[in-house]
Amino acid sequence: MKKFITRRTAIKRLFKISGAVAFSALPDWPVHGPGQVWAQTPGTGFIVEGLGKTEGYSLKELIKKTFDTAGGIARFVSRGDVVVIKPNISWARRPELAATTNPEVLEAVIELCYESGAKKVRIADHTIHDARRCFAITGVGSVAKKTDADLVSPRSSLMRKMKIHGHRLDIWPVFVPLVEADKLINLPIAKDHGLSTLTLGIKNWIGGVGGRRYALHQDIHQTIVDLAQFFKPTVTLIDATRIMVTNGPSGGSLSDVAQRNTLILSDDQVAADAAAARLFGVNPEKLGFIKLGEKWGLGTSDLLKLNRKKVAI
Amino acid sequence: MKARYLIWIRRASQAFFLMLFLFLLIESRLPQDVFVEYSLALSSAQELSIKWPVRFFFQLDPLVWFSSLLSGYHFIRGFWWAIGVLVVTLLLGRIFCGFICPLGTIHHVISWVKPTLRGEQMVRANQKSPGQKIKYFLLITVLVGSLIGVNFAGLMDPISMLFRSVALSIIPGLGTGVRGVFEWMASSNIKTLNLLAYGEVLLSPVFGYTYEVFKTAWFIGLILLVILFLNRVRPRFWCRFLCPLGALLGIFSRFTILTLVKDEEKCTGCNACTKSCQGAASPIPGKEWQNAECVMCFNCFDSCPEDALSFKFRRSSPLSHKSPDMGRRAVLSGILAGISLPLIGRLGGHPYKVSHPRLIRPPGSLVEKEFLTLCQRCGLCMKVCPTNVINPTLTEAGMAGFWTPHLVMTQGYCEYTCTLCGDVCPTGAIAEFSVKDKIERPIKIGSAYIERGRCLPWSGNGPCIVCEEHCPTSPKAIYFRKGFVAGPDGKEQPVQLPYVDLKTCVGCGICEYKCPVKGLPAIRVISAGESRSMENQILL
Repeated sequence: MKKFITRRTAIKRLFKISGAVAFSALPDWPVHGPGQVWAQTPGTGFIVEGLGKTEGYSLKELIKKTFDTAGGIARFVSRGDVVVIKPNISWARRPELAATTNPEVLEAVIELCYESGAKKVRIADHTIHDARRCFAITGVGSVAKKTDADLVSPRSSLMRKMKIHGHRLDIWPVFVPLVEADKLINLPIAKDHGLSTLTLGIKNWIGGVGGRRYALHQDIHQTIVDLAQFFKPTVTLIDATRIMVTNGPSGGSLSDVAQRNTLILSDDQVAADAAAARLFGVNPEKLGFIKLGEKWGLGTSDLLKLNRKKVAI
Repeated sequence: MKARYLIWIRRASQAFFLMLFLFLLIESRLPQDVFVEYSLALSSAQELSIKWPVRFFFQLDPLVWFSSLLSGYHFIRGFWWAIGVLVVTLLLGRIFCGFICPLGTIHHVISWVKPTLRGEQMVRANQKSPGQKIKYFLLITVLVGSLIGVNFAGLMDPISMLFRSVALSIIPGLGTGVRGVFEWMASSNIKTLNLLAYGEVLLSPVFGYTYEVFKTAWFIGLILLVILFLNRVRPRFWCRFLCPLGALLGIFSRFTILTLVKDEEKCTGCNACTKSCQGAASPIPGKEWQNAECVMCFNCFDSCPEDALSFKFRRSSPLSHKSPDMGRRAVLSGILAGISLPLIGRLGGHPYKVSHPRLIRPPGSLVEKEFLTLCQRCGLCMKVCPTNVINPTLTEAGMAGFWTPHLVMTQGYCEYTCTLCGDVCPTGAIAEFSVKDKIERPIKIGSAYIERGRCLPWSGNGPCIVCEEHCPTSPKAIYFRKGFVAGPDGKEQPVQLPYVDLKTCVGCGICEYKCPVKGLPAIRVISAGESRSMENQILL
C-alpha cells in the first residue's frame, strides 16, 4: 500500500527544512552593511606616470614597468585574490576610436594580476550600449577569452540597492561584482566629455551603478565623487595611450583621437585624474569633480604631495 | 513498409523539426559570446552576425515564397527550399504537414495525447465536413490580396504564426516569471539564494539578458491559446479548417503517387481508421480518400486491425485522384475578400496620404508600399533585435500593416552599428545592409526633435546633457549652445542648451530612450526624414 504523508508531517518537515536553511544562512547575515569611511588621509599616496617614447614600444613592458615603479603588482594583488577590473567599455566602438579602454592595456593588466597569483580576474562594466555588442566590438570579449578572465554581463539582478553614504547620493543600485571583489582596479580611458569636461577615473564609476543613471548628470561632479568614495578602488590606472580630445564621450571618428602613449597609475583617485587632465591641457583646478574630491578628502590634486615618479621606455 | 516503422519515422521527424524550429528560434539573437577575433577587433572590418540559418523554416515555407512572389515580384533568398517542398508534395502529398510543420506537430500532439471526444463521437467528428473549405477560402484571400499589393499571408501562415507567438509572447511571458524569481533571490538577505541567483546566466540564452517584452504580445499569445484550444473541438482543428499553407499543399498534392490503397474485402467497418484520422480525409474503405485533406500521418494505416489499408506508390493518371474540394463559393468569396481586404486596409489613408509620425520602420526597410508587399509579420526582426526596440504595430501602420515591425524608442533604441534585422528578414522587406551603408550613406529611420517645455535645461530645471552624450554620430547631431535660462527662482543661469542638427541625425532614438523624462521624453524621434521615403522628408 502507498504511504501518504499527512498534512501534519508535511508541515513539520517544511518547518524543519526552512529552519535549517535559515540557520545555515545566519553566519552570513549582513549586520553592518557596506562600510562607510570618508576619511582617507590625503597626500600619503603615490603616482606613477609611464610614457612610451620610442616608436613601436611594447605596451606590455611599459605597463609592467609602471607597476614595478609603484612597488610591483604584488603590492596590490595578493595570492588568491578575486580581482575585479572596471574598464570603460560603455560604447560599442572599435578600440582605435578611443571611446573605450584599450584592450591591449586591459590584457596586460589581467596577465599581471594572474602572475601575481590572483585566483580569478573579472571584468565588470555596466555598459551604455548593449553589453554583448560592447564586449565584442571593443575587443574586451576576446581579451577575456584569451586571458581566461570572467566577463560579467550587467543585468538587473546584479544591481543591488546599497547605502552610498554620499553627500548627494544616499541609496543607489550598485553593480554587485564591484563590491564583492577582493581587489578593485579602476581602468578608465581618458576622454573628452560634454558635461564634466573630461571623463577620467572618477567619472568611470557611473558605469558601476544601475538605476536612474541619467539623472546623475544633474549634479554630475558631486555624484561621481560620491561614487568614487563608495567604490574606493585598490588602484587606478588611467589609459591615456589614445585619448579622445573632442566630440566625447562617444566620439566615432579617428579625427577625435590623439596619441599620448601615457599611463597614469595612482592609489589617489583625485591625483590620477589631475595628472590626466594635464594631458588635455586642462587645468585640474577648473574641474568640478577634482575640486569636490579635494574638498571631501577623496584625494589631492597637488601631485607634489605624493610620492611622484615617472618612467619611460 | 510496415505501418509501425512509418509511424515512428513520422514521430521522429516531427520531434526533430519541432526541436530544430525551437532551437533556431532561440538562436535568433545576438549571442553573449560574440567574441570577434582579436585581430578583427582591432580593424574596422567586423560585423556581428548570427551563425545559424535562422530563416530556414521561412525558406521552407511555400506560402511565404508564393505570396512574396505575387505581391513583391520578389524571389526571396533560399526559395529553392520551398520549391523542394512543393516537389515533395507533388510526389508524396502533404508530407510537410505530417512530418515537418512545427505548428502541425503541436496540434497533433495535443489532439493525440488528450482527445476530448471518445469512440463514436470521434468517428463522427472525423467525418469530412464542409467547413474544411474555409482554408481554401483563406488561401485564395491571401494570394489574391498579395496580388493586389498587401501581403496578409504572415497573419495566417503557420510558420510565421508559431514564430511570432513563441518569440513575442510565450518566451517573454515565461521570462517575466523567471526574472521575478531571480530578482527575488538576488535581493534576498540569504547568502545561499544570492549565490544561486548567479545561475541566471544559464537561462539567459533563452530568455535574453534584458528580458524582452513586446507590445500587443498578450493578443498574439491569446490567439495561439485559442487555436490550441480548438483541438478539443476537432483534432488538428487549425490544420483541418484554417491553415492556408495546408490548403496550398493540398492543391499541389493532387498528383501524388503515394496513395492510400484500400482493401474493401478485408474491411470489417470497425471505423478505427476514421477515429484516428486527424485530417478527416475519409480513410475508410467504401469512401473516396480525400488526398488533399490527408496530412500523411499514417495513423489509419497503423490503426487498422485487419491490414485493410496500406500506402503504396502508384503511377496512375492524375485524373484518378480527386481534386481538392474547394467549392465554387469558397473560391469566389476568397477572390472577393482578397480584392477587398487590401482596399479596406488602405482606407485609413496609409500609406498614400498620411503616415503615422511614430511609424518608425527598422533600418533598411523598403519604402512603405513595397514593405507591405513583403513583410510576413513573423517577428524574426523583433526577436533578433538586441535592444528590444522593434515591436509589432497595432494601429500605427493602418489595418494593412497590423503587427508589422516598428521601433518604440521608449523601449529601446537602434544600435548605431547593428545590422541584424536586415540580416535575418526572410523576405527582404528589410533589405540587407552593411555597417558601412548604415553609417556612411547614412540610413536614416527618422529625426529627433526637442520639446523645450519638457527639456530640463530649456525649462530652467537644471543642467542635463544625456541626449548629447549618447548621440552616436560623428560629429554629434545633438549639439549645445551656451545660453541663459531663468530658473524657478527667477535668476538667469548659464546653461548648455541642446539643439538637433537634422542633417546628421539618423533617428536612432538613443536620445529618446536615455532622456531622463520618461514616458513622454523631452526629445523624441518621428519618422519624418526617413531615408526610405521620397515624400516623408523635412529638408530639401
